Amino acid sequence: MTGGDLVTHLAHFAGVLRARGVTVGVGDEVDGAMALTLVDLADRLEVHRALRTAMKVRRRDWETFDAAFGQFWLGDGDSPRGTVPTGRIAGALPRGGLRIAAAGTEGDGDGGAGEGDTPGWSAEMLLRRKPFDQCTPADLAAMERLVARLAMKLATRRSRRLIPTRGRGAADLRRSLRRAVSTGGEMVALARRARPIEEPRLVVLADTSGSMDAHTRFLLAFVLSLRRVARGAEVFTFNTSLQRVTPLLKPGNVAATLDRLAAGVPDWSGGTRIGESLAEFVTRWAGTYVGARSVVLILSDGLDRGDPSLVAGAMRALKAKARRIIWLNPLAGDARYEPTARAMAAALPYVDRLAPAHDLESLERIIPELV
Amino acid sequence: MSPEIQAILDGLERLGYIADAPIATAVFLAREMRKPLLLEGDAGGGKTELAKALAALFDTELVRLQCYEGLDVSTALYEWNYPRQMLRARLAEDEGRPAAEIEELIFGRSYLLERPLLRAITRREGPAVLLIDEVDRADEGFEAFLLEVLSDFQVTIPELGTIRAEHVPYVVLTSNQSREIGDALRRRCLYLYLEHPTLEREVRIIRSRVPGAGERLAGEIGRFMQALRGRRLSKTPGVAESIDWAQALLRLHRDHLDAETVAQTLGCILKDRHDLAELDAEEVGALVAAAQGAEAA
Repeated sequence: MTGGDLVTHLAHFAGVLRARGVTVGVGDEVDGAMALTLVDLADRLEVHRALRTAMKVRRRDWETFDAAFGQFWLGDGDSPRGTVPTGRIAGALPRGGLRIAAAGTEGDGDGGAGEGDTPGWSAEMLLRRKPFDQCTPADLAAMERLVARLAMKLATRRSRRLIPTRGRGAADLRRSLRRAVSTGGEMVALARRARPIEEPRLVVLADTSGSMDAHTRFLLAFVLSLRRVARGAEVFTFNTSLQRVTPLLKPGNVAATLDRLAAGVPDWSGGTRIGESLAEFVTRWAGTYVGARSVVLILSDGLDRGDPSLVAGAMRALKAKARRIIWLNPLAGDARYEPTARAMAAALPYVDRLAPAHDLESLERIIPELV
Repeated sequence: MSPEIQAILDGLERLGYIADAPIATAVFLAREMRKPLLLEGDAGGGKTELAKALAALFDTELVRLQCYEGLDVSTALYEWNYPRQMLRARLAEDEGRPAAEIEELIFGRSYLLERPLLRAITRREGPAVLLIDEVDRADEGFEAFLLEVLSDFQVTIPELGTIRAEHVPYVVLTSNQSREIGDALRRRCLYLYLEHPTLEREVRIIRSRVPGAGERLAGEIGRFMQALRGRRLSKTPGVAESIDWAQALLRLHRDHLDAETVAQTLGCILKDRHDLAELDAEEVGALVAAAQGAEAA
């Protein structure tokens, strides 16, 4: 087989991978082609391993890759050429470049360059103020992009604080010495720089009970976006019992993650036992995840028929450990809302801030407080 | 298998690193294509060990950069030796030299403290193995900086100018996936996901790393660990834990597993309070029986 054939085949194969949702770029194709020149082409397993490594196929895509590889390269006969029903595949797939452009816009959402489908300013404003319980699943995608931008504000806020300061801060020897040169090595004044603000330690406790149903998806979408900035954020969900879901939160498509979450959380949109759940969090997890720098974010409407003293006890213990407790309550968006539900009332003395969380704008306002 | 890949497999094994074909293939490609190798996988899967083994295999120095949140350029790349600079500046001042000359004097190579990245690219004897460990722990800003260094293998120090790599190092990056590595960095690397080893490979690893462990002990540990990994744990133990455990059991003069010994030494493999609490005596018994049952069969 000539080099040209190989490259063409590889381009087709990359196309098949892309069509099945595995992101493969031109660079990966080039690396794959180079790898093929290095390994023993008669050894299918070796070709398989080499391509997987060189095309940087992630663990989660291995199954798809293996299936595609099997069909594409090993369909029949020894030579990959024999296995390729060239006409069919070539017909089904546009040439490489085109496909990549398409994948970029409809892809996992953080491509960001898809100017065409970005909602306009006014549409964005509307979305910002659209109550979550009136949002359709279709709004979720647009909202996801918006929330990602909001979360970025948190990131830029932090990075601006990295600048060296005049007054306080640790000594900056590098700059101090530079200045000392003019005085013959005598350090007349120390240059200083402030330590960067530590990343927020965020712990999210999200109520996924039935009464929260209309809000949960959007609030969790918000949490997922926050995790891009506050990478150490821990997320728990609770309804009748508490579950740590951080391991389920893989970066990528928010909608898919939410579905995975809903599948992984028992009793999703069932009843609530806030007190028991908070108490369980305190005894089982708070020691590990809540420290003096932690901000605890509770997403709940506080509607619960359990024993309020349990809520109060757990909140007291939490308050003693955490730096700040923020309670986001979708009901609080209504001007007439009063936190009189028993669980909410019991928790209130230990909450640093009770804030509404019924639309994006309300979430936007909470972002600066998370630092 | 290509003879070169087989050679890597054999070479690593001689050094005590029991690899498998995917690992050897990835190492081979990384070496031939001169690309960094990104290793992902669970903690304790032997990522860092592989980098060490590679340094031994290529018979070169291992330069290690441990990443952490807030890691900055002065820790990763270079720092000036301030006390020496200051002394020199004082002396020069006493000699009555002008400021410009003093500056020239003290910002020279000999006042530069090399940190890992600079060390890796200025090594004269030949390419080093540069291990950038737990790159997922460093923040994104650092990742961007890394990208720059890894694409050009040159760094610019304002006072000195640009320093180019004498030999481009073999680069190994590891990640525990505590966050997603940026696409740009990922694309620049070859990729290998280290899975937990198969039973056969795990037993061989234990026997190679803990020579005192007998066939029976190593086999039972292997089967126990394989079964244990099937459970839902918050921290699934890796091969590193198997090795620790084998060593501990050897110290206790055990040549096989029994429920009591396992219960006493569970801390070697489970490093999480909740996991420990969840594995009660009954379950330990079942796991031990599974580990031994297969032995009898």
